[in-house]
Amino acid sequence: MRTPNKLVLVALAALVILGVFAGIRGVTWFVQNQEFRASQRAGVGAPADTTPRDRGLADERAAEEEKNATLVYEPQPYRQIGGVSSRVIVWMLAQLHLLFAAFVLAVPIFALIIEFIGYKTGDKRYDKLAYEFTKLLSVSFAMTAAFGAFLLFMLVLLYPQFMQYLMHVFSPTFAPYVALFFLEAIFLYSYYYGWGKFGPRVHLFLGLMLNVVGTAIMLIANAWLTFMTSPAGVSESGAVFSTWEAINNFTWMPINIHRMIANVAFGGSIAGAYAAFKFLTARTDEERAHYDWMGYIGQFVAISAFLPLPFAGYYLASEIYAFSQTLGLQMMGGAFSWLFIIQAALIGNLFLAANYYLWLGMGRVEGTAHYQKFIKYLLIVIGVCFAIWATPRSIISTVSEIRAMGGSAHPMLGYLGVMSAKNTAVNMLILSTFMSFLLYRRTGKRATHPMRGMLNTMQFTIFALASAIVIFFGIYGYFVSAAERIKFSVPQVGSVLLAMVLITILDVILFRKAEKTGEMRWGRINPISQYVLIFIAFSFTWLMGLMGYVRAGLRQHWHVFGLIRDTSVDAFTPTLGFATKVVSVTVLIFFALIGVVFWLASLSGRPDWQPNRRKDAAPTVSPAELS
Amino acid sequence: MKPQSNAWVMAKILLLILASAALYTHIGQLVPQKEVLAPTKIIVDKDASPEELAELGSGIATGKGLCLTCHTVGKTGVLRYPDLAGIATRADAQIEEMDALTYLANSIYHPDDFIVEGFLRGMPAINKAPIGLDDEEMIMVLAYLQSLGGTPTVTLELTLADLGVE
Repeated sequence: MRTPNKLVLVALAALVILGVFAGIRGVTWFVQNQEFRASQRAGVGAPADTTPRDRGLADERAAEEEKNATLVYEPQPYRQIGGVSSRVIVWMLAQLHLLFAAFVLAVPIFALIIEFIGYKTGDKRYDKLAYEFTKLLSVSFAMTAAFGAFLLFMLVLLYPQFMQYLMHVFSPTFAPYVALFFLEAIFLYSYYYGWGKFGPRVHLFLGLMLNVVGTAIMLIANAWLTFMTSPAGVSESGAVFSTWEAINNFTWMPINIHRMIANVAFGGSIAGAYAAFKFLTARTDEERAHYDWMGYIGQFVAISAFLPLPFAGYYLASEIYAFSQTLGLQMMGGAFSWLFIIQAALIGNLFLAANYYLWLGMGRVEGTAHYQKFIKYLLIVIGVCFAIWATPRSIISTVSEIRAMGGSAHPMLGYLGVMSAKNTAVNMLILSTFMSFLLYRRTGKRATHPMRGMLNTMQFTIFALASAIVIFFGIYGYFVSAAERIKFSVPQVGSVLLAMVLITILDVILFRKAEKTGEMRWGRINPISQYVLIFIAFSFTWLMGLMGYVRAGLRQHWHVFGLIRDTSVDAFTPTLGFATKVVSVTVLIFFALIGVVFWLASLSGRPDWQPNRRKDAAPTVSPAELS
Repeated sequence: MKPQSNAWVMAKILLLILASAALYTHIGQLVPQKEVLAPTKIIVDKDASPEELAELGSGIATGKGLCLTCHTVGKTGVLRYPDLAGIATRADAQIEEMDALTYLANSIYHPDDFIVEGFLRGMPAINKAPIGLDDEEMIMVLAYLQSLGGTPTVTLELTLADLGVE
């Protein structure tokens, strides 16, 4: 049977559409004219030219206009969208904006470092890896900007009076912020699209500028939010006398440092998750090897940044205490004390997962049994430290409970909840994870250095000494006054950092020109390791959400702590259960969106689209080819 | 390694993410759940007895005043901040020629000027923001402190000058 001509089909479709339209119009006309029938009796009812309904409508309009003309403008301190909590809207949008922003700020840092390594060593693999990381940036940058704009609109809409005040304080920072944002777009896209198009030094310079500009943007945004926690440069009534002091408030620099490090850890973990996803869906051994390596680098970046993060956290906490004891006490001993138990559970999971990934990674190399026997001891140390860190000191209790305990601390477990115990636990966790990494690094090698015995002994002695110092000060802290105890964290942290540096130096010397006992087989790793990478990325993201909540929630019923009180219906601190639900929903949305980013980033590697051709169809020849 | 279908990998990743979210949300439900409301002004009859004021002051000390977040009552050993048990008795001997009530009143209005030996500075002025107790609430706290090892005597008729506070 012959198929109908396409032109006829189009004409028929147009006729059908016209017919349907005419039908609808006809029915509408009929209904409108049947709505009212004028009275048949002369002199009764409506005038001939209007209906009662028309007159009623006209009266309503007139009344409305009269009412509108007398409306009085009243500034609104708060607005709401339906019955939805304004705080939750802003909370989720801010979190999503920050997560994408953290990723966009972090990836260029380690992409640049990896590219630089590739430039110096001449190894093309590093260049390819750096480009692969950078591919994730383009869409993420757009997401960051979109969520930033959305957040700003919602803040202006829902908290107009408070935003007016923030504008009063920070308006001088807006123009530089916008200028930097434009510059970031220029450097980001020239860095990404200019890959291989410029000389290596010019390209590295673009990457460097991208990092400089991105960091400057973060510094400005951090000033806005830290001012809300620890205001400075303003009088008791809120009048500004120094914009610089408002920027350089107590928590600004600690947050800058903490965020910079945390962003790198978070960015590394998300890039690791991307590599894990690509590994799991890889079709060839070559692809698997590449993405295994990429995942390892991402994880290495994440954990390297994660290890010094607690120290940055202590610095931030000490500055919060220095600004306001009340704020510090709310954080560690008041309404938020249990939040740090949730944080301990998360960090414990992160340490366990990171170590597990390293232990699984030993499977890439043959002959690792010698080192695997140490894993159980490391696991015990990590488990014990995890438990100590997760023990609370002050708890939210009823009045009668507080009286029964003689204070807000548990009579027995309270001893494990003080800073002496927690500092000891976290330092030992860091040392243990560092040892795991050292064991992993040694797999497949045998030291041939003539002084290897002595170097090994030195490494062990340094490790033992650092552990002894950490534990000694941890115990001694219980027998001295608070004034003395607070100083002990310095030797504890110092000994751990020094030990890590010295042991690494010795290890590099020890394994220079080492004999290979087994080849590194990238891609030959248990696939569970890839799910561990995704779990680590999720836990990092969730941890960021939780800590973002405590940083902002700490102000409790204040928009600007001690200065501008929150008088909205949301001026209360929600339960931690509610907060964790909000964090979970936000993180799930983020992961759905980052999945889109991964998908879009992977499109560039796909082959070009080709129209489907029937296998039996004769090859088509274009007129040009015929001529 | 045998490649798995993308759909199966995606399903496992989705399951992992949902399970992780459920785990952390569940941990969040295991800890004590308490909504902390913005503090409200405590209204009290002007003729309230010192004992009644002490009772209200006890509530402030554990609540909006945040006193017992740091201080303990009846604890010994190495403490972060001074224990308050028997404070009414000890206050009398802290500074020469200063009676217990004046010492206690000045300690809570000007905490940095009255640091007990062996302890760090750190107590905020609880009559200022962010805690911001008003003078009546401060008297209630004073009554509570007097009740710890002594008998409360203060009333709401007292002024700052009566208390010896500058």
